[in-house]
Amino acid sequence: MTSKLIQKFTIIALAAALSACATGPGGGSIYVPAETDDTTAPEPPRIDPGADEPRVERKSEQPDTERRSPSYQDEGDELPAAARGLIGQAESLLAAGDAQGAVSQLERAQRIAPRSAEVYFGLAEAYVALNQLGAAEQFALKGLSLAGSDSLLQRNGWLLMADIRRARGNVAGADQAEARAGAL
Amino acid sequence: MAGRFRYNPAMKKSAPQKKSPKKRSPKGKKQPWFWRLFLRVSLIGLVLLAGWMVYLDAVVTSRFEGRRFEVPSRVYARPLELYDGASVSASALQRELELAGYRSGSAAAAGSYRRSGGQFEIHTRGFRFSDGEEPRRRLSLSVFGDRVQQFSVVDGPTSPIVRLEPAQIGGIYPAHKEDRVLVELDEVPELFRNTLMAVEDRQFYDHFGIAPMSIARAMLANIRAGGIVQGGSTLTQQLVKNFFLTRDQTLLRKGNEALMSLLLELHYEKDDILETYINEVYVGQAGTRAIHGFGLASQFYFGESIADLDSHQIAMLVGLVKGPSYYNPRRHPERARSRRNLVLGVMADSGLISEQEASRAQGQPLGVASKPSYSENRYPAYIDLVRRHLARDYRQEDLQSEGLRIFTTLNPAIQYAAEFAVTDTLKSMDGRSEGVLESAMVVTSRDSGEVLALVGGRDPQFAGFNRAVDARRPIGSLVKPFIYLTALQNPDEYTLVTPVEDKSFSLVFDDGRRWEPKNYDGEERGEVPLHLALSRSYNLPAVRVGLDVGIDAVKTTLQNFGVSDGISDYPSMLLGSVSMTPVTVAQIYQGLATSGFNTPLRTIRQVTDSDGQALSRYSLKVDQVADSASVHLVQYAMQEAMQEGTGRSVYRTVPDELTLAGKTGTTDDGRDSWFAGFSGDLLAVTWVGRDDNGPTPLTGATGALPVWARFMSRVPQHGFSPVVPDGVAYHWVNSEQAAITEQGCENARFMPFIVGSEPDIEASCGGSIQSRVRGWFEGLFE
Repeated sequence: MTSKLIQKFTIIALAAALSACATGPGGGSIYVPAETDDTTAPEPPRIDPGADEPRVERKSEQPDTERRSPSYQDEGDELPAAARGLIGQAESLLAAGDAQGAVSQLERAQRIAPRSAEVYFGLAEAYVALNQLGAAEQFALKGLSLAGSDSLLQRNGWLLMADIRRARGNVAGADQAEARAGAL
Repeated sequence: MAGRFRYNPAMKKSAPQKKSPKKRSPKGKKQPWFWRLFLRVSLIGLVLLAGWMVYLDAVVTSRFEGRRFEVPSRVYARPLELYDGASVSASALQRELELAGYRSGSAAAAGSYRRSGGQFEIHTRGFRFSDGEEPRRRLSLSVFGDRVQQFSVVDGPTSPIVRLEPAQIGGIYPAHKEDRVLVELDEVPELFRNTLMAVEDRQFYDHFGIAPMSIARAMLANIRAGGIVQGGSTLTQQLVKNFFLTRDQTLLRKGNEALMSLLLELHYEKDDILETYINEVYVGQAGTRAIHGFGLASQFYFGESIADLDSHQIAMLVGLVKGPSYYNPRRHPERARSRRNLVLGVMADSGLISEQEASRAQGQPLGVASKPSYSENRYPAYIDLVRRHLARDYRQEDLQSEGLRIFTTLNPAIQYAAEFAVTDTLKSMDGRSEGVLESAMVVTSRDSGEVLALVGGRDPQFAGFNRAVDARRPIGSLVKPFIYLTALQNPDEYTLVTPVEDKSFSLVFDDGRRWEPKNYDGEERGEVPLHLALSRSYNLPAVRVGLDVGIDAVKTTLQNFGVSDGISDYPSMLLGSVSMTPVTVAQIYQGLATSGFNTPLRTIRQVTDSDGQALSRYSLKVDQVADSASVHLVQYAMQEAMQEGTGRSVYRTVPDELTLAGKTGTTDDGRDSWFAGFSGDLLAVTWVGRDDNGPTPLTGATGALPVWARFMSRVPQHGFSPVVPDGVAYHWVNSEQAAITEQGCENARFMPFIVGSEPDIEASCGGSIQSRVRGWFEGLFE
């Protein structure tokens, strides 16, 4: 058991070390502006070379042999300031007992920051307040799927999960979640 | 629903006094026969008239007591959120503002903006969302690298994030196609009301429905002209005419109009009648849509609310009443201008405005928004899907009459790019196929399932067959990720490097039929690692793996991901002989794109009543239908497909930094060309084929993928880079040999494995195999 855990940690550490070269710096998703901004020239001459003729692959025009690697990252994206503000508003609404209002603000935040675990944990909490525990558990799971190697987020997520499962009467599941939080 | 414009009992006159000034003929005197006849005829006439009055009274009151107006529902695009870092290009922002009816200029008035290069100043109008008010603000921002920067609120309540008011993209109209925005009398500026009366009915507050002196004047003019040239109609009469009667000018109708006007005045307060008039009056036409009421007229002609109109705008709108088509300011600006200036003169003469103000206003340009704030049916395919979603919870007659507000998820910038990609790419493909090529496209937000754009055919403006929603076509190889996902969920049996057989075989069914699947290129490669079988879309390994895990298991996976019906039990389903619409494909790919979370597709965020109170919300839902670890492995192979497999031609069009994952699909004889794939932000499905299901020379990579690529290249977005789920670890492997290897080796790939399923043999760079020392070493501790 311990050896497996150690193994797991080593692997994660290894992966973390290696991932730096597999993904971009910082680990967050890379923003790519569009190639063309079409205001100045509404119908620009096409840059795309192959679209007008049938695409016959010739060896010479194939992309370079240098192989790109599929991308991945170890942590979800960082929360942009605008989304953090909305989550803050949602927290106040939740504290004031307006869970539905909190969901509205969190959904706005989710559209801005769809790959940040915090947003989904927030939604899970709001759905707990709405007593929709099934939805709450799913949002907690979604948040955990984006927490990656951030152990603080993992821990928060599993503690939240433990609460939700306990409230749903799933004692074994709650204990399991708590154990995962404790191991972090 | 308690509409605020229903009849308000408080406004009803409490005790209508019916005077009955009947004259009695004195009795006892002998009258000549003609007097008796006259009396009889008069009596009969009076009885008939009384009966007719009772009937008219019923007509008048029943129409006024019930809901007076059927107000169409309004359909809005998603509101654009502006904040530092928001993803938008300068051109998309400008289009967005134009779509919402913003005028380019000084940004001094609400509903206008100023752009200089990437620098924007925007004066928002403010909007009441159900979750709170967005007040009027003046914003300053710059767009650089397709992102908002230096965002600040120059004027108005400060906030780091501001929602623009959403653009209206459609409406759901009553059968008579009348469109209106109801206003209450106290929302209408006093100057407006007074101008209306000064021009149309000076004695409005004094008469009892008709103004005999005006009628006499008009009659005189008519007699002189030998026809009806002038109406002495009061506002009440005009309202009666529009509300209850036909447009023809007969004497009988004139009589009815007068009687009904009297009855209306008898029952209802002046203010109530005036308010109804202001909402009823016909002021223009937009295609088949009739523009009624000054509330909508202000928006339609000026893009402003009635409360904000300047005196010259008031004058133009009031002037329009005389002849909305003759004085149409868009078609006949000169006529509209002189009519407006005439009204301004009347305003000055009546003391409503000063002479100076009148001459200032007369010098103003008409200032009419260049086109209506939205053109009818700009997004037919999208609205069609919205209507279907609405039909689940709302009755058509309510949608046509209750003035609901429907907040959709349509993103105009994404829709624009999708339409462009479809039309432009299909144009370039013409001549390659015998029949006419058609296409469909669905774009969703990857993590929220919101449908951002929908294209129903190569002519996106044409409201015909909506292929995105109604064309059910075999999906071909788009089914393969689900076969491999089913297999990879059992890591003891399958990993990305498991060798799978690429060798032909035949199946013989009970009835003696044989099935011999082939690869697209007709070749066989012996054994290939699973990830290559998927990224290269080989048929034979897919069928073999599918048969091994079982058709039922694959079917269950598809059902979990959102296919409700119509999956065949035949092995040919493993090569995609299962038919789906593009929207359904987008639904099932949502789970693949989001680490196994099924996210129901939505076109509607919310429906509110006309006051902005929420009636129904369609919230984000997630439901984990597959474990994230196995989905992560499939995502790896789908990224590989883009980098070196069947989708690699995408990188001729999109920049290298944009990491993508996707899958091509082709059916027999190129009848269907599919592509489904995703970035960090977006999921898009494209289909190209013929409506008559005829053959084409296209494959998924040469038909649907170019459309997809063209689209992706025009939208600023994040690359796809999934978070490594718990229980997955990456290793350098030699995938042909299914062995762990070293990073520097030529064939080394850095690949994900569910922990414990990684290869237990090692290959040196040269390829010689040995058992893994670490595996043996670990064994010591067990």
